[in-house]
Parts: sequence; C-alpha cells; structure tokens
Amino acid sequence: LCRVPLPALTLALLGLAAAAGPRQIPTLELAEELWSAGLPGDLPELEPECRSLLAAFAEGSAALTDCLGRRARPVRLCQGCHGHYRRLLAQYGSIARAVGNSSESHNCAKSILTSDRLQIVVTLSEFFNETWEAANCANCLKNNSEGLSNSTEEFLDLFNKSLTCFEHNLQGQAIDLSPNNYTEVCKNCNETYTKLNDLYNRLQRVNRQGGESEHSAHLCIDVEDAMNITRKLWSRTFNCSLPCSDTVPVIAVSSFILFLPIVFYLSSFLHSKQKKRILILPKRIQSNASLVNIQEKYS
Amino acid sequence: QLTPSSLLRIGQLSNVDLNEDVHELETELPRQRPNEIPHNEKLLSLKYESLDYDNSENQLFLEEERRINHAAFRTVEIKRWVICAMIGILTGLVACFIDIVVENLAGLKYRVVKDNIDKFTAKGGLSFSLLLWATLNASVVMVGSMIVAFIEPVAAGSGIPQIKCYLNGVKIPHVVRLKTLVIKVCGVILSVVGGLAVGKEGPMIHSGSVIAAGISQGRSTSLKRDFKIFEYFRRDTEKRDFVSAGAAAGVSAAFGAPVGGVLFSLEEGASFWNQFLTWRIFFASMISTFTLNSVLSVYHGNAWDLSSPGLINFGRFDSEKMGYTIQEIPIFIFMGVVGGILGALFNALNYWLTMFRIRYIHRPCLQVVEAMLVAAVTATVGFVMIYCSRDCQPIQGSSVAYPLQLFCADGEYNSMATAFFNTPEKSVVNLFHDPPGSYNPMTLGMFTLMYFFLACWTYGLTVSAGVFIPSLLIGAAWGRLFGISLSYLTKGSIWADPGKYALMGAAAQLGGIVRMTLSLTVIMMEATGNVTYGFPIMLVLMTAKIVGDYFVEGLYDMHIQLQSVPFLHWEAPVTSHSLTAREVMSTPVTCLRRIERVGTVVDILSDTSSNHNGFPVVESNPDTTQVAGLRGLILRSQLIVLLKHKVFVERANLNLVQRRLKLKDFRDAYPRFPPIQSIHVSQDERECMIDLSEFMNPSPYTVPQEASLPRVFKLFRALGLRHLVVVDNRNEVVGMVTRKDLARYRLGKEGLEELSLAQT
Repeated sequence: LCRVPLPALTLALLGLAAAAGPRQIPTLELAEELWSAGLPGDLPELEPECRSLLAAFAEGSAALTDCLGRRARPVRLCQGCHGHYRRLLAQYGSIARAVGNSSESHNCAKSILTSDRLQIVVTLSEFFNETWEAANCANCLKNNSEGLSNSTEEFLDLFNKSLTCFEHNLQGQAIDLSPNNYTEVCKNCNETYTKLNDLYNRLQRVNRQGGESEHSAHLCIDVEDAMNITRKLWSRTFNCSLPCSDTVPVIAVSSFILFLPIVFYLSSFLHSKQKKRILILPKRIQSNASLVNIQEKYS
Repeated sequence: QLTPSSLLRIGQLSNVDLNEDVHELETELPRQRPNEIPHNEKLLSLKYESLDYDNSENQLFLEEERRINHAAFRTVEIKRWVICAMIGILTGLVACFIDIVVENLAGLKYRVVKDNIDKFTAKGGLSFSLLLWATLNASVVMVGSMIVAFIEPVAAGSGIPQIKCYLNGVKIPHVVRLKTLVIKVCGVILSVVGGLAVGKEGPMIHSGSVIAAGISQGRSTSLKRDFKIFEYFRRDTEKRDFVSAGAAAGVSAAFGAPVGGVLFSLEEGASFWNQFLTWRIFFASMISTFTLNSVLSVYHGNAWDLSSPGLINFGRFDSEKMGYTIQEIPIFIFMGVVGGILGALFNALNYWLTMFRIRYIHRPCLQVVEAMLVAAVTATVGFVMIYCSRDCQPIQGSSVAYPLQLFCADGEYNSMATAFFNTPEKSVVNLFHDPPGSYNPMTLGMFTLMYFFLACWTYGLTVSAGVFIPSLLIGAAWGRLFGISLSYLTKGSIWADPGKYALMGAAAQLGGIVRMTLSLTVIMMEATGNVTYGFPIMLVLMTAKIVGDYFVEGLYDMHIQLQSVPFLHWEAPVTSHSLTAREVMSTPVTCLRRIERVGTVVDILSDTSSNHNGFPVVESNPDTTQVAGLRGLILRSQLIVLLKHKVFVERANLNLVQRRLKLKDFRDAYPRFPPIQSIHVSQDERECMIDLSEFMNPSPYTVPQEASLPRVFKLFRALGLRHLVVVDNRNEVVGMVTRKDLARYRLGKEGLEELSLAQT
C-alpha cells in the first residue's frame, strides 16, 4: 500500500524531466523504465499526446520568459513578445481542451493541470497572463493581437525619430559639455518632441474615453515607458522645458484677493449695526418684582 | 428671598386673580423699557416653540381611536412600513442626484481650469489662471449662497443641528419644508462645485429628514397638493418618528452605513425611542443605501455590481499592511489626544467667528459677499500652495484625476495639486490609499495648516454644506504626516503604513470636532468595510471626545447654543436639585374657563405680548370665591380651529344645521395653523360662548409645586411634553412649566447658570 505513491511520484518527475529536457525518451524506453520502477508497462501515467503537449508548453514558456527578460529594460515587451505570448496561449488552450484516447476521465487536461497539488502549468500560465494584463499590452496591439496597432506604430515611429534627433544634435558636441549646454538639442528637436508629446496625450485621452474599467486607463507599457524616457531626457537631462514663472503678477493678484476679506470684515465691523437682542422679562415668582405690587394691591 | 409661606400665599392670590381677568392684570404690570443687549450664547430665543409630542387626548381623539378596529391598526402599521421604504428610496435618489451633478460640474470646472493652467504655464501669465479659478469659484458660490440667504436661510449649514433640535422637540420654523429641501440640494451642489472646503454628506441628513416629513404627511403645503393619503400621521408625534427614519436614511446614503445611520438617529436625534421604530428605521436605512448603490452602479456602467454604497467611499482597507498590532494601540490613543485638541481649537475658533457673524454679518447681502470672498480665497490659497510646491511625483501608476504639471518636469505632476485641485471627497480617499511616498511631509504639513483654517472659516457661512468631509480631510492629512514621520523614526518598518494612520487621524479629527461616539465609530467602520478597525477607531474617538470636552463642547451643540435654541439634554443639570417647580414655573398663568366668552378667547389669542400656546382650562364657576380646579388643557391651534369653524354654544342652540367638528378638521389645518389675525369674529359673535370641554385635553400632566427640577425635567423630557401645569393641593393652577423654563438652566463654568429670554 505504501509503495504506490512513491513510484507514481518518480513517474511524474520522470515525465516532467522528459518533457522539459532536450532528451526525448521514446515510448519503448519509457515502458522499460516503468518496468524497472515496479509498475506495469501498459499503464503509463501520461499518454504520449499529452506528453508532447506538455513539452510544447514548456518550450513556449521558456521562450516567452527569455523574451520578457531580455526586453525588460528599455521596455519592449509588447512589441517583441506578443508572438510568443500568443503561441503560449494556444498551447495552453490545446492542453486544456485535449482529450486522451484511453478514456474520458483520463484526459490530458486532467492529468496535466489538476492531478497534483502544485499545478505548475496552471501557475505558469496564470503568471504570464497577469504580466500581460499588467503591462496592458492589449492596448497597443491590433484587435486580433496580431501585430501592433496603427497608432502604436505611429507613436514608435515618432519616438525613434526624436531619439535620432537627440543623437544627431548631441554628436557634434564634445563629451565633457556642461549640463546646461543643451540648447542646440532643445531648439532643433522641439518640433518632434512636441509632436510626440501631443500624440501621446491624444492616445491617452482616446483610451480614457473608450475604456471604463480601471486597468485599461493606462496605455501599454511600451508606449508609456518610451514616453517616460523621452520626457526624462527632455526635461531632466537636457533641461529643455523651462516654464516661464511669473511670480510677481501671481503674488500681486493673490495678495489682492487675500486682502479683500480683511477689508470686508473690518468694514462690516465698523459700519454694520450690531444686532441687539431685546430681553424679555420672564413671569416668575422670585424674579418678578411686580408680584409684590400684586400682593399689595389685593391684600 | 421669599419664605415658603409667603410664596404659597402669592400662589393663591395669583390664582384668584386668574379667575377674574388675567388680562387687565397683565397690562397693569409695570413694563420695563426693553432691555437691549448684544447677542451672546446665554440667551433663549422666543422664536422657537415646542412640538406637541404628547397627543391631546380629548373626546374627539378617543372617539376616533375607539372607532379604529384591530384590522385598521394593522393597515396603519403597514402604511408605516411603506412610508419608510419610500423615504429610503427617495433619499437614495436625492443622494444619487447630488453625487452625479457634483461629479459632472466639478469635473467640468477642473478641466477648464486645468487646461487654462496648462496653457499659461508654457506661455506665462499664470495670474490669469488664478483669476479664472477664483472667479469661477466665487460666482458659483454666489449663486449657492444667494438662494440660501434670500430664499431659505434655514437651509444654511449642515442641517444636523437643526434636525437634532427638531427631534429634541423644538419647532424650527421651515426646517422640514419642501422648499428647504430644494434649496438644500441645489445649495450643496453649488458649494461643493464652488470649491469650498465643505462636504455633501451632512446635508444629506437634513434632506432625508425633509423627505421623511413630507412623505409621511401625504401632501405638500408648499405645492398646495393634498394626496389624501396618510392622514393618520398628520401630527407631531408620528412625524417625529418618520423624521428620525429620514435622518438615518440620510446618513446611510451619505456614508453607505445603514447601521451607523440608525445609531446616528439614536445618538444625535431621536429623544424618544422604541424597538419597533428602530427596526423600521433600519429598514429605511438599508433601502436608502441599496437604492443609491444600485442607481450609481448603473450610472457607472457596471450595473448590479453594487460597489458604491455611499456618497463617500473610503475604499478597501484589507491589505496586509493595513492591519494593526496591539503595540500600535498607544499610538492611536495619542492620535486621539491630538485630534481632541485640534478639534477643540477648531470649535473655539469657529465659536468666535460665528459670534461675530451673528452680531455683524446678519444682512443677507453681506452674507453672500462673505461666502464669495471665502470661495475666492480658498481658490487663491490652493493656487498659491500649488504654485509654491516643488513636490513632484511621477504621473505613471498614479490615479490622479486632474494631474497638474505646472513647474514639474514632463510626465510628473504636482503633488500638492492632488490635495487642493480636487473635490474634498476624492482628496480624502487619495490620502487614505495613495502608496507611501506620494506626498512630501512638507506638502502635507502645509496642506493641513491651510485646510484647517479654511474649513474653520467656511463652517457657518450662509451656504448649505457639511463639516464631515473637511474634518476627515484635515485629519487624514495630519494622520498621514504622522504615519510618515513614524515610519521615518522606525527606519521604515512594515507596519507603519501612512494610509492606516491617515484613517485614524481622520477619525480623531472628526471625533474632536463633532464629538459623536457610538454612531461615528460604526459609520467609520462601515465606510472602511473593516470590522477589525472598530476597536482602534472606538479608542481614538473616545480619547478625542474626552480631551475635546475638557476644553469646549462639540460643534453642533455649540451652534445650537449660539442660535439660542431651548434644547433639552438627556438629564437636568447635576446641581439643580435645590430648585423646585415653584421656582422654575412661569406664573401667573393665563387660564380659560370651560365655557368661555368668545371675545375673551380672541383677546387672549391676539395679545402679542404673551404668545402662549397652551391654556389650562378651569371650571367655569361664576362665583369667584370658590375654588376653580384644573379641568384640562387646550392648545392655541385647537382654539383657532374652533374659532374658524365658529363652534359656539349659541349657534348650536339655535339649531343651525352644523356639522360636528371632527379630528380631521384639526388635522387638515396641521402643521400651519392660520394666525389669529386672519380669523374674523364679528362683534355679535364676541358675545357668544364657546364650550371647550369636548376639545380640551382632560388629562394633562401636572406636578405639585414641591417637585424638584430634575423630577420635572425627567417627566418633561421622557414624555416629550410641551406644557406641564403646576398645581397646588386643591388642584388649582399655580404655574406652567414649558420648555424654555427648563432649558434656561445650564451647567456653566461656574456652576448652574440661568439663561435669559430674548426676542430674536
């Protein structure tokens, strides 16, 4: 009785190792292995079809992980990895749908997805889905998720243009320039930058109007990050956006407004007639002096 | 000081006088020249009268009650439930209306100002943006203040003091009229859109009460429409119960706190209470929050999601960081102390300001100008704070509704602007939930300081607006500041989450200002949706109340006192046992005989110097030497109805075909009985006689002269009386105790104080 779980576990481990590793174990070899582990060969834990599905999923997730990791900084997740993601989705879907040929109750979905406590395949796929959602990639892909949407293409185009412009204008200058000496860049690239900024703002507005729910209020991470980098370069590194500060008029206007209540309260204190209350004498025994009169009069 | 024996003699003497003709006596009394004093808090206004919470159990009433059988009483009970459901639904709908309109109008305003600021930041000329913002605010507030000041002044403020008075038994003129509701709703929308430091939650309580009072009567006197339903409820006793249900429904719609609403009614309002009423009130509250929830969820596009139970939603507090440990309890208590002190400071400042306003700014146009100035200054202060702030936060990943960039780098927003450039409700939620690091300590400190004074300045203006949200906002700001410094001191421990401390600070500040305990604990608990916060919130509120009460009283009580309202607290002042009914009562009393001359009645009623409402009825014995015992009590309103229908003995004798007066005739006149001047009585009719025995209340409550003040008080307060006759041992009327006689004794700083009556 006690021996049963152990071979089963070994079997599962073997199966996983077989699926993930490059070394493919032929079915015949597996049967032998099973035999040596003490199990009858005609009772395999995983059917061959399922095994291949699992292997495909493992490869797909490895590729997607690789892609995501490589494109973490600067963020290019949605542009670079949407193909991988789509494939992985499909692979997961086929696992969930697939039915082994032995019996209805013994299909691949059941044996791969739900037969142990860890459920690693489900966890992995959930992780990828959540990442994709958080990155909001659906926002810059076409509706059928094949390729980038037109607006995103346009945005990235402009983005590349402005980066090129920055590079161009910086090339001529010496490396050891002082931090304030970026006027050339500011002047020459202003047009592209403004265009880019406007486009971004427009995309954001459209997005906000379209989507009601919480997370779709953001654009996809690629666009956001690209804009962020550019803005940081522009206003932090190059120090180009110098808003004109008109402190003197602001101080003048605000002190005028702040001065008004003082005038108001002073004038109402001095000119308004103070409200007076007329006291009413209560009719009471001890406080009513006139009672004494009554008493005298009638006694 | 008179000796008891002489007092007794005077009592008898004045009693004899009464039987002859009190009027001549009264006119003969040497009247002093009117004594004028500036307004102060030790006055009782003559303007306020009591409500008749005690049924006048006259013959008509008894006959009607006897006619109603068991089944009919059941119908009445069902009607009560139907009315409560309607109160809940309508209150919820009004709350929805306010919320949606405020959201849209405020959104429009902030978008316009934001676009303008963005435009001028690049080009220069930000002073124009400032002017635009200030003018927009001032003009919106001007409209809001004008409708209040010129059309219905009772709609000013949060309305909670007024409702508290109403439920205590004081008749505040116009407080539950339809016109007041309309002005209140419009006023609140305009003052929130106008950017004042106010909230829309307090006025919901008043709105709910007006709705309740209106529906339960089945008619509107303002619209002159009578739907001929719910006629049974046309009296003060029934109306009061519905008004407490309306107040509860209002709280429940405002905070999404049905239980808190019931407890609010219990704590602040209803002086009279029973279990069935509680259950009905709870029903009305639940209906109200459910209505609001479903309508708003449909409006927000996710129907049947039911995610916005109240006007303000504190958001969810269930993440791991938001939990608290036992070691933090002393810190929370300390925050309660701070909240109590700040709340007392707020109230003290507001006290002086309100006193100044009552004395000097009493003309409506001045009040409107003041409100406009406050609106303009609020905008200016906000603008200057935003202008001077250098606290920039990255725009990404934040949920700012109107991010103002101003002098920040591209892709960043001004953090001060999230606090000032937003409706106060949103700012509160931001302070609770923004991740740590969203605000500079400097920003929070400046914001707390400025907002404290602005909110204090704003409360008491002639606009309809509440103080709940500003208090929460001030508290949340300093609470968050406290949390940040705490995590700085402890080198960034995980438990020092600023959002949690913002919540505790908000509770402490609100508790320190309004001094509510039980209901506020439950409201905060329900608004956060986290029951485990009950304990720390309770501790915080308790501490805040204890500390605050040491300095000054709560804001609502203070305003009730400043309005010179004769408000009766739960108990008589503790040191008042030495006073007896004889010293408390008013005497001599204007009495009527059981069969009285019409002329006398008309004269008594039209006498402007004694605006009495209840008259003891004594035996109509022509022989004055004999004792005339008390037979009953009749009200002014009843007399007026009698005169109007000319129920005279002679007419009955003449066999004129006359319908017998029914209780319905009295109900139809309720609650606005015509003044005596509008009733014409011819010279011949003055000589007629009127028989009061059928209409008077034959069993009025009486006390002997020796009863102590606490005993009289208890009787008066517990039964909701309006008149309490003081009799001697021969059942002769000696004096009369009314609300103002009892309310004038108050426990002041130097023991028992006596307030004086004044005409206001």
